[in-house]
Amino acid sequence: MYIMKTETLIGQGKSYLTVRRALIVISVLLLALLGFAVAALSLGSEHVAAGQLFPALISKLIGTASPLSREQDVIIFSLRLPRIAMAIGVGAALAVAGAGFQALLRNPLADPYVLGVSGGAALGSITAIIFASGLSYSRPLFGFAGAAIATLIVYRLGKREDDPAHLVLAGVVMSTFLSSVIVLMTAMTDNVKLRNITLWLLGDLSSGAVEGLIFVLIAVAVGAAILVTQSRALNLMMIGERDAFAMGVETARVRWVVHLTASLLTGAAVSAGGAIGYVGLVTPHLARLAAGSDNRLVIPASAIGGALMVLIADTIARTALAPRELPTGAITALIGAPVFVYLLLKSRK
Amino acid sequence: MRYSPLTTKFNAFIFALAALLLFAGCRGAGAPAQKDGDAGSRRSFTDGLGRAVSIAPNPQRVISLAPNLTEILFALGLESRIVGVTSYCDFPEAATTKEKVGDTLQPNLEKIISLKPDLVVVSTSSQLENLMRRLDQLAIPVYVTNPRAVREVAASIRSMGEVTGTSERARDLAGEMESRIDAVERRVRGLPRPSVLYVLQTGPLITAGRNTFINDLINIAGGKSISGDETADYPQFSRETVVARAPEVIVAPSSHGVEFVKESDLRRDFATTPAIRSNRIVWVTPDLVDRPGPRIVEGLEQLAKGLHQE
Repeated sequence: MYIMKTETLIGQGKSYLTVRRALIVISVLLLALLGFAVAALSLGSEHVAAGQLFPALISKLIGTASPLSREQDVIIFSLRLPRIAMAIGVGAALAVAGAGFQALLRNPLADPYVLGVSGGAALGSITAIIFASGLSYSRPLFGFAGAAIATLIVYRLGKREDDPAHLVLAGVVMSTFLSSVIVLMTAMTDNVKLRNITLWLLGDLSSGAVEGLIFVLIAVAVGAAILVTQSRALNLMMIGERDAFAMGVETARVRWVVHLTASLLTGAAVSAGGAIGYVGLVTPHLARLAAGSDNRLVIPASAIGGALMVLIADTIARTALAPRELPTGAITALIGAPVFVYLLLKSRK
Repeated sequence: MRYSPLTTKFNAFIFALAALLLFAGCRGAGAPAQKDGDAGSRRSFTDGLGRAVSIAPNPQRVISLAPNLTEILFALGLESRIVGVTSYCDFPEAATTKEKVGDTLQPNLEKIISLKPDLVVVSTSSQLENLMRRLDQLAIPVYVTNPRAVREVAASIRSMGEVTGTSERARDLAGEMESRIDAVERRVRGLPRPSVLYVLQTGPLITAGRNTFINDLINIAGGKSISGDETADYPQFSRETVVARAPEVIVAPSSHGVEFVKESDLRRDFATTPAIRSNRIVWVTPDLVDRPGPRIVEGLEQLAKGLHQE
């Protein structure tokens, strides 16, 4: 009987998850990501002819002389390519964290921002900017710490009952509290520091160092892999934790693993690229609409979808008013909010 | 019967009295009295926003709402007449011991009123419109001076001198500043103008646009900013464009405490630019280049020296 219930919940208007459908969804998304990445590589404030791009890529790979000038080579390979990789990493991390939280809490509003995890990461990173800017790696480390602490507190506050709404409520309290702490901190520091922080808070993918990028990409790979291993258990827990427990799922352990993994993903993303919103909330919804609600597919599809979303947003951010740049977070919200509303209305019909 | 002949007559009387007072007031403004503290003989000045501000001669209780104006007041020898400054006012040393009325963006109105000023000087007006209106209602004179270019600082000092009754000292100070600006211009005339990237911060990259003070400084110091055609004052700027425009010198404010410009970032991202290849990063003292006060010439000289090293 429980299994029946699971099937109806997971099936929701879609056929069962088959290997074939999973392969189709993933490969279509990957192709789209690849296509957009190549397009993003040829777009920018400084024009490099698309025809030169492929020979340059090939010469880079096999180590022959590049057809590009030295400046063009730096623009494409030292500035644009790492930034694209950063957008992909940050987008994937935020979307996977969102998918994890939504599955765990059975709540469409759950997302790193709603739960205060991003706020924790942001507060940690801001603390690093203000008090420990000389320390190398202070930003990602403090960001991690902030996200983990916020998660622990929210988890403690909200775990009492087997009621996901309780946790979301705790998260809302946490995030409003943290944002007021951030406002307080920025109000107490002087003018110049404030400018630095507010701009960074809006999302900035341009200033990441290679070490930070590798950090994010590893976090995404490891985090997504861990969550995929938990996706079966998450599927069962979507019916209700007690039912899943009765069916042999170690619900307490799953909750811990998913919580920590998702907060680590958020910490990595926020400390590297600032607070980029809407990706964790919207992408898993899009993934479910496209691929059904089986988490085994939703989590990897969210990873690629989130990467795509931030990549597109960031490409707009750096080309729309070039050579001026816009904060990436503003663009994700601008794209994310209408898309979300549209899908919500459409799915109700 | 609301309009009795009596009230009409009374109204006419009031009108006549008002006209008489107005006439007297105009005469008073035309021929300023020089007596100290004579509130009845206020003079009218036109401030930086074109407002007519009526100020008593030799104001004795002055509040400054900007660090550059505090520096000007001190340079005019008005230390004893300053009753309030902002928390950003840290030069000269004595300014830090003055009563604080909040910061430049959020001054505390109650504090200002409690200090009973007879003059409040303001530099950035846009954020303070509300505050200015309230002070106007309380008949506390607010004088705005907002120099937008290096040479306007000298004019600003002269007008501050007139307002505070220290015209002579202000003229000397402004004259000395102008001759030092002239000297810098003479020195760089005919020299090649290096292209300059001015970096306010690196995460994200922020530079200065056309209508900024720093752009004017760079021009007078004999350089040419690569972001000098940007209409935004402090745009977030593309690193790709910096690489393509290949600046010959990178100028950045030296940090005190918090590091906004990471030198390692500059060397990593702009390694191909002539500036990094010939190791020409010029660090300027932030307070000297971004405060439109008496020390701006020091900033200008520092910058000119950095742009034209032999």
